[in-house]
Amino acid sequence: MADPRIIKEKIFLVTIFALTILGILPVFHVLAEVIIKGSEAIAKHGLGILTSTSNGILASLVGSAILSILASLLGIPLAIAAGLFVAEFSDTKLAKITRVVSRSLLEVPTVLLGMLVYIIMVVPMGSFSLLAGAIALALVMLPYVMVHVEQAIESVPPIYREAGYSIGMTRAEVLLGVVAGIARRGIATGVLMGFAKAMGETAPLLFTIGAARTTLPCSHSIPLANVLDPGDAVPLMIFQYAQMPQKMYHDMAWAGSLILVAAFLAVFIAVRLLVKEVKT
Amino acid sequence: MSASKTMYRSDKLLYYSLLPFAAIVIAAFIMLFAILGYVSAPALRKYGISLFTTTKWAPNEANPSKSVYGLLAPLFGTLVSSAIAVLLALPVTVSIVLVIEEYSPERLRELIGSIIEVMAGLPTIVYGLWGLEVLAPFLREHVYSPLHQLLGFIPLFSCKPITGFNLATAGVLLSIMILPYMVAVARDAYRSIPFTYKEAALTIGATRYEYAKIMMGLAKPGIIAAALLGFGRAAGETVAVALVVGNVPLVSGCLFKPAYTISSLIANQFSMAPLYPYMMSVLFTGGLVLLLIGMAANTVAVIMIARARKRLG
Repeated sequence: MADPRIIKEKIFLVTIFALTILGILPVFHVLAEVIIKGSEAIAKHGLGILTSTSNGILASLVGSAILSILASLLGIPLAIAAGLFVAEFSDTKLAKITRVVSRSLLEVPTVLLGMLVYIIMVVPMGSFSLLAGAIALALVMLPYVMVHVEQAIESVPPIYREAGYSIGMTRAEVLLGVVAGIARRGIATGVLMGFAKAMGETAPLLFTIGAARTTLPCSHSIPLANVLDPGDAVPLMIFQYAQMPQKMYHDMAWAGSLILVAAFLAVFIAVRLLVKEVKT
Repeated sequence: MSASKTMYRSDKLLYYSLLPFAAIVIAAFIMLFAILGYVSAPALRKYGISLFTTTKWAPNEANPSKSVYGLLAPLFGTLVSSAIAVLLALPVTVSIVLVIEEYSPERLRELIGSIIEVMAGLPTIVYGLWGLEVLAPFLREHVYSPLHQLLGFIPLFSCKPITGFNLATAGVLLSIMILPYMVAVARDAYRSIPFTYKEAALTIGATRYEYAKIMMGLAKPGIIAAALLGFGRAAGETVAVALVVGNVPLVSGCLFKPAYTISSLIANQFSMAPLYPYMMSVLFTGGLVLLLIGMAANTVAVIMIARARKRLG
């Protein structure tokens, strides 16, 4: 008869390995379904499903591109500056408060940020706009990018600071010229993660961009003013088309998912390469 | 600020030029609370506590002032679906942490870590679409129907699973979505266990099972923090849940009945809310409740983690 302690150990090991496999299996199924159903949809309807505004998702693709870029332009400089402040002046009260607040923002359901922007922007301006959506997305990515910036700055060994100070550099010169330079890969990682986050979010867009999917946002003669037009985004399109009964809409939703997942994986691989280079 | 007194002039310049950005972050946070509170106020004044104790959701088109709103059903749905998600994800979280930290070679550890990161970053709407078209029909066919037939005498499984869109599916989908966050938090906690404890456990000749039990005891506050943060995430998740939960304001002891959650209620009803007085305000009250759930989970989790750090030294 084997030792019951050993039997227990065997059962335990089998259980935790089985649960681990069970835990990571779904994501493979999700990816496989997206690739199969997405490419089936494109094969069935032709590339028009991506390049048309009437029977395709062109407006959503254009809208998503504008939204992610605009949100990054608004959110990333703010996140980097605030992250630098928190990391550099970590002994001040204001930096401590900012850190706690940014960690709390991380746990705020993103749908609430959409509601906030609806009240402070959409209602006063009287219309949905890509700009309102971009502001909501900027708020979503803000705490993510901040965490990465803080960690990147804090991971720079103090010896580099000391070297800078010893040759008479000011604190600003050391932070921006030396420390931020050494931490640049970490900061770039944060920027990319923030971008990916903005690209994939749905809930903040529900009440801000207006889901204008039959026209492209180009009603103004000045290109930049077009961000005041309503627009669409791939995640929002997927959410709304998934609830339609017709097969055609589901096909467009899967095709959109394929593009979205491909874009996310591209950013993910870029981040991996960045991190790897730091290690070696 | 006290620290700025001890700074040189050039350092102060840096401090004051970065300060406005930090101020914007704080202002955005305060504004979120203020706006949610401000817009919620009329509904709280009109309906009072009955907003949380009734389930009827009846916007009255002919006479808007006679509309009745109750948030009990969505509140119930949010709490139950999030609780299911945490209960399902917790054993898997613990297993993954142990496998990664103790029983895998370097390569496998990195591979599992990468997979978990992809899980965390995948857009939530993709999970939602998968949940709607793949998970819900699969669970109805291969899990709910057999459970109902075999264990129908248990109230949880007593109703016939007519569609796959119900509380149980929302819980299962959420458990998949919150798993990577819970693993990240629990893994941090596990790593903070000092090496001497691990050595001590091994020198007394513990089997791997006994060793894991001791380690899990030490990492317990971190595991609880992971569960709380996972609960907060699950409660706030919107679009994926809205696609699978069924969107019917019911409070039922049976998991196979369609339900509602606060966030899916907001997602579905917001567009018509401007047409009815008070509906917008009621939805913002729901939002305020979500915010408070999220903040409470976050605060307790942070305290748990801090305590664990202190205790382990």
